Amino acid sequence: MSILYDEGQLAIATESRRALEARVSKDDLLPLLQTSGQYHDGFWMTAKEQGWTALALPETYGGLDLGIVELGLIAHQAGRTLSGAPFLTSSFGAAKAIELYGSDEQKARWLPGLASGETIGAIAFASGPDALPAAPAATWKAGQVEGTAPSVSGGLFADVAILFAQDGGARALVIVDLDGIERKAIDSFDNSRCIADLLFAGASAEPLVTGEAARAAALHILALQAVVTAHEQTGGAEALMEIARDYALTRKAFGQPIGAFQSIKHRIAELYGLVELARANAIHAAAREGEDDFVTAAAAARLSATEAYDTAARDCIQIHGGIGVTWEIGLHLHMRRSRTLALEQGSSFFWEDMLVDRLAGETT
Amino acid sequence: MTDLESYRAKAAAWCESMVPFFGKAARKGLSVEEDLALGRRYQKAKFDAGYAGINWPTDLAGQGLGHIEKITFEGEEMKHGFPNVYFGISLGMPVPVLMQFGGDREFVKERVLKALQGEEIWCQLFSEPSAGTDLAGLRTRAETDGNGWKINGQKVWTSWAQYSDYGVIVVRTDPTVAKHKGLTYFWVDMKAPGVTVRPIKLAGGDSHVNEVFFDDVKISDDHRMSPVGGGFAVALATLMIERYVATDSAGFGPHLDLFVELAKEVQLNGRPAIEDGRIRQQIARNHAMRAGLDSINMRARLMMQAGMTPGPEGSLNKLVAVRSRQKLSELALDLQGTDGFAFDERTSPKDDWASSWINAPTGRIAGGSDETLLNTIAERILGLPQDHRPDKGVPFNQIPA
Repeated sequence: MSILYDEGQLAIATESRRALEARVSKDDLLPLLQTSGQYHDGFWMTAKEQGWTALALPETYGGLDLGIVELGLIAHQAGRTLSGAPFLTSSFGAAKAIELYGSDEQKARWLPGLASGETIGAIAFASGPDALPAAPAATWKAGQVEGTAPSVSGGLFADVAILFAQDGGARALVIVDLDGIERKAIDSFDNSRCIADLLFAGASAEPLVTGEAARAAALHILALQAVVTAHEQTGGAEALMEIARDYALTRKAFGQPIGAFQSIKHRIAELYGLVELARANAIHAAAREGEDDFVTAAAAARLSATEAYDTAARDCIQIHGGIGVTWEIGLHLHMRRSRTLALEQGSSFFWEDMLVDRLAGETT
Repeated sequence: MTDLESYRAKAAAWCESMVPFFGKAARKGLSVEEDLALGRRYQKAKFDAGYAGINWPTDLAGQGLGHIEKITFEGEEMKHGFPNVYFGISLGMPVPVLMQFGGDREFVKERVLKALQGEEIWCQLFSEPSAGTDLAGLRTRAETDGNGWKINGQKVWTSWAQYSDYGVIVVRTDPTVAKHKGLTYFWVDMKAPGVTVRPIKLAGGDSHVNEVFFDDVKISDDHRMSPVGGGFAVALATLMIERYVATDSAGFGPHLDLFVELAKEVQLNGRPAIEDGRIRQQIARNHAMRAGLDSINMRARLMMQAGMTPGPEGSLNKLVAVRSRQKLSELALDLQGTDGFAFDERTSPKDDWASSWINAPTGRIAGGSDETLLNTIAERILGLPQDHRPDKGVPFNQIPA
């Protein structure tokens, strides 16, 4: 059942938009691209002050007991203004894994810090193109992890990671305290994601889920994150569509606004269609949490959001002509982010497979 | 169960009970005339069961319920392939416009009742050979003739005109003013002397659309449904009547499940096509598109239920769904290879990929072409400028032909 936002939820959208527009600008974000290992402190401070880190976590551990519908609304706004750090989604994923699969001791140890934002969480599942690899690069054995978790978003600053690791011939979902762990920063085209390889070298780790259930648990966490990210992508695409529209209304050529030319106006109308499909799928998916078809809905949301943001980034720059490719105007910030978000939480290939497995009734 | 859920359950049960009489099996092998006769009986059955004119006023033989009940019923009805297509235009636009703008209320009441019972069909005489998207450029003219009017000219693409008893028509009554200011709206008797209907065979083989010729067709002034020169506004009102009908994210083509079944049956390179990445990608993309449209439509319903006006995103359905159906139908033929050649033009575009494919271009043109819909989104929703229009403000008879 798709939902309509209630007044409280609409207030979250309005308030988060106001806060982010006041605190985050492209002038803050552009320099981060040319530094290594820095995030936008104003963004993360805002997230903590506004209670966004606590939003979808249980009240017992300092959370606000809301869910991915509300977190999705924040992520949508963060997508519009460009979030200055990946932690809102990465910490949420880590916290949900601990909340759903952890012991009372594990929850008491990690959730209050994740809810306040003092603790930063990361998800370390992927290995290259594989969002949930059959043979993860890191191995868990007798309470210790060996090997590397490659290219973990937020990994440079995370205090705790949820790792999808090899466990003998099987897989396990484990918690790793990252205190003292060696990290190798990865310079990327979107540096504020603070991406790092985590080099475990015998770090101690506690199990969350082992055996057959580990993969399903990891997939569920990934799907929760994917829905939040889909909202963020939709927000980015929506902002780009509006920027393109506004530019097409003001820029003139041959004596008329370029938006009067069908090659331009149809392109923007097509973006409108992609944004609305992405929004509809994201809202629907958020409302399906806990239902049997949640992964199906999350996959659809992820696919249409990625298509919308990628296309919007491409077309918005194209509509701007020369000015669109300058460093100063900052449209490349969205272009970079659109690809970052396309790769985090599983690529389109991964979600296409998740979706078709389910549509064909061949779910594993 | 909410009231609406129980309404849906009752509607679903009624539709189910009609399947033996009016379902796909009952229609199989019928000629168009036989199918139309069956359709009239179906429409009468709907009327008797209280499912005709669901959201129309009770004093005009309607049920006096809301739009939400109407689309709830239609959502159930469309699952079964009943012969209701002959009445879609009639009850969708001309008859509601008659209800709103018809002067003689006794006449209106009688026509509405007969239309609801499937006894009479109305058509909509808008498009012309030189006026499609640019409706206001139409040339069929009405001149004063005593106390009435005399119509001369030609309409085209008129759905079901060959079976229609009446039609609503927009004609030019003053060629000396700007094009949209010289139009007037009437109703006409399709059986009147001087009206000639000639069916047009479409690419897919069916002939539901027609050319309609008017040769000195005389009507009295009480046929007029707009002020003289005020026809364009009523024409727009006609087109705006049903912005939210029960929509179909399959673009009136086959359900995606049929494609998935086909991909499981067919082998590509020695393994089921469902395992082929190219096919999987298209299935996934198509599903995501349909799921988005379904969610938009569901949200629109919930908003209507809550007494709110749905957002403009509902206008995406036809644009997005029909062109996706066209591509998916091509792909389904690819999947079948040479087995895909077999074609029976009597199959329904909802059940058969070749039929869906060959009729898809009609869907992308009828009721607003893709390009027109994109213009509408750009201009009405996003506030982008209109295209350059050299004929703007120019008297109709001075526009270069």
